[in-house]
Amino acid sequence: MNTFRTLIAGAAALGLAASATPAQAFPDGPVEFVIPFGAGGGADIEGRLLAKKMGEILGVPFTPVNRPGGGGAVTYTYIKNSKPDGQTVGWNSTSILTTTNLGNTDFAYDAMDHVGRVEFQPQPFAVKGDAKWNTFAEFVADCKAAQGTLKVANSGTGSSTHAGAIQLMDAAGCKVVHLPKGIKGRNKSVLNGEADAMIAPLTGAVRLTKAGKLKILLMPTAERSPVFPDVPTAREAGYDVALDLFRGLSVAPNTPADIKAKLADAMAKAANSPEFKKLAATKGFTVAPLDHKAFEAMLAAENTKVRAIFASAGLLKTK
Amino acid sequence: MSPDVLAGIAQASGFFVLLTTAVGVFIGLTVGMIPGMTISTGIIVLLPVTFVLPADISIALLLGLYVGGMTGGSFSAVLLNIPGTPSASATALDGYPLSVNGEAGRALGIAITSSFIGGIISFLCLLFIAPLLAEVALSFRTEDMFALVFFGLTIICSFASQSLVKGLLSGVIGLAIVTIGQDPVMGTQRFTFGEVNLIGGIHFLTAMIGLFAIPQLVSNLADAAGGTARIQTKLKSVLPHLRDLKAIRVPVTIGSLTGAFLGILPGAGGPIAAFISYDYTRRISKHREEFGKGAVEGVAAPESANNAVTGGALIPMMTLGIPGDPVTAILIGALIIHGLAPGPLMFTERGDFAFGLIFSFFWANIFNFIIALTALRVLVKLLAAPRSLLMPTVAVLCVIGSFALRNNFFDVYVMLFFGLVGLAMRWLDMPVVPLLLALVLGVPLEENLRVALTSSQGDISIFFSSPIALTFLALSALSIIWSLRAAWLRQRASPPSPKESSP
Repeated sequence: MNTFRTLIAGAAALGLAASATPAQAFPDGPVEFVIPFGAGGGADIEGRLLAKKMGEILGVPFTPVNRPGGGGAVTYTYIKNSKPDGQTVGWNSTSILTTTNLGNTDFAYDAMDHVGRVEFQPQPFAVKGDAKWNTFAEFVADCKAAQGTLKVANSGTGSSTHAGAIQLMDAAGCKVVHLPKGIKGRNKSVLNGEADAMIAPLTGAVRLTKAGKLKILLMPTAERSPVFPDVPTAREAGYDVALDLFRGLSVAPNTPADIKAKLADAMAKAANSPEFKKLAATKGFTVAPLDHKAFEAMLAAENTKVRAIFASAGLLKTK
Repeated sequence: MSPDVLAGIAQASGFFVLLTTAVGVFIGLTVGMIPGMTISTGIIVLLPVTFVLPADISIALLLGLYVGGMTGGSFSAVLLNIPGTPSASATALDGYPLSVNGEAGRALGIAITSSFIGGIISFLCLLFIAPLLAEVALSFRTEDMFALVFFGLTIICSFASQSLVKGLLSGVIGLAIVTIGQDPVMGTQRFTFGEVNLIGGIHFLTAMIGLFAIPQLVSNLADAAGGTARIQTKLKSVLPHLRDLKAIRVPVTIGSLTGAFLGILPGAGGPIAAFISYDYTRRISKHREEFGKGAVEGVAAPESANNAVTGGALIPMMTLGIPGDPVTAILIGALIIHGLAPGPLMFTERGDFAFGLIFSFFWANIFNFIIALTALRVLVKLLAAPRSLLMPTVAVLCVIGSFALRNNFFDVYVMLFFGLVGLAMRWLDMPVVPLLLALVLGVPLEENLRVALTSSQGDISIFFSSPIALTFLALSALSIIWSLRAAWLRQRASPPSPKESSP
């Protein structure tokens, strides 16, 4: 019993000492690494590995915690309200621009501070493996011949795949029915012929495309993907559009610059680690770290794009 | 053999997976045996543990519990005349008389053997039917899925055994709860009142923990008697005699096939399969008069049936993503947490995992047989474990489970709220299972209805032009008419209550 009491007294003294010392150096103990989507999905698998590597680099555990809900809204609200000490880090994605512009949060993406981008992947336009269309132009020609009849599946209304589909179809001057089939139903609906095509994150279509069950006609992205170098980009096909699915890190607003710099450094090192690059190669995403300046410029540009897409589809809602 | 089957065998036969399967079976036997703990409660309590484990190990643990629970229920049914689970109710009819005659060991041996055979037969059904059905289900379009989910919902009627009105009311409450959060098609917020935690909706596992576990805790606390009944813990030989094995050939065949078939049909579940096979075995028996007084056939038929249900119920769960009973509903939740959505694409995209699950089920049955036979004497002693230790543990695990689901303490309050709902429903004598089914099926019902109508641009004929959708809608109509008829017959058979006769 005596030892127990000593222990408690000791712990209390330690606690007092800790609270008395002014702002300790970052990192001060385990860092909470918040993932805005459920366990097992792409965001989760990629985020967990990055968190592990960042923990090794900074010498403290980065504990992955899934806080799904509202297309990321739950996590972004949590990050915005967390302490600006770098101990809580959010694993963001294009959802930081979509969910905030759908009115799910009462703030925009810039209510948080951003550390940098880690990776991105194109969102290809894919049809069934044995479909009659071999180029995007053929699809557009059929679409224009019977406007408003062809169906393009996406992962859900207001998702980044939906935004990508609206953008591409509008640029092609082709009216389609957008089917919000969800992440589970999207691939299936193309395979069973219910939808004529889909926009999907590349990682969600790689396996089925390599198996010949899907055919990727076009990538609305800046450069050709190293995974499928034969597929033309949208720009090459004559449509000046691109919308990637990116992932990066965000922290609470007003986080000190030196903490952000430390995080950004560890983030870039973790992203370029052999393990993370190996995951990228098998899954099909591109590791391309950006520092916070470049990332914020990119976010601003992409935000304008997403707002324009949502406005044209009548989905834009800001509080 | 396809590479997926081999990968599945390899996945299920790894050392740690086998170990967790065995642990799951042991926990299942214990949970099933203890009256007041159903298999659903056991799985719910174990669920948070699985969040931190890899998917293959989690599912092995849960499957082991499912299989073990079905057999464990028979122990208390035979020894105490209290079925540990509803599925073991029919086993008590002949199991307990045998136990009274001092033949408890013989009865339990028969029960364990029959469970084993039932489980293995249903494993074969699962192995051969599920991949084929998944292939067929892959061609289901949105409108077909709507009709299928709708058919699944009509099962609510069969769970409303006491009163059709109460059952339907329970289902409607469930459907209303499902509307909380973002709507599945447009993402519009409904009934969230500006609360960020509600945007994602009510997680059905959170609701389920509250609905099932809390009322059970309360009634266990209220059960002040709590004294453990005297149990005949000294058992003679458990290994069944050759003579008995010959006698149970026919009953076990009937039970296994009935169980597997009724398992595939969503909604019927263990208790119904057990009673149907018991009844049928009694009818064709040459010595009908012995039933109810300690006939081994009367133990064999229901025990093989309730274990055969498990493999059968996994078929619609894996291929269609439609749960057949509360346990498979929880299994769906557990799989989704690991990013593995059960459905027709599971065999295409994660064939290795799908077959791994099937072979884990196989091992669960093997371990169930071995552990039940060898550890029976130890397990039975657990029947005397004090409730004062068991129930607080369950309470703590409920809180941990609902928190760990989304790492959100808000969900703990939601769980407690559903605990109150569960208590209210128990007092009102309202069945909980329809509410649960509505929670699981409500989202796909709405989503498929609305996406189908988006696809057809508002033309409702899309549901009647697809032969698959039409078939399921016809089946739904049949299912509803059948339950209405049963309710009407029940009302006619029972004498009019005084309330009805007085003006």
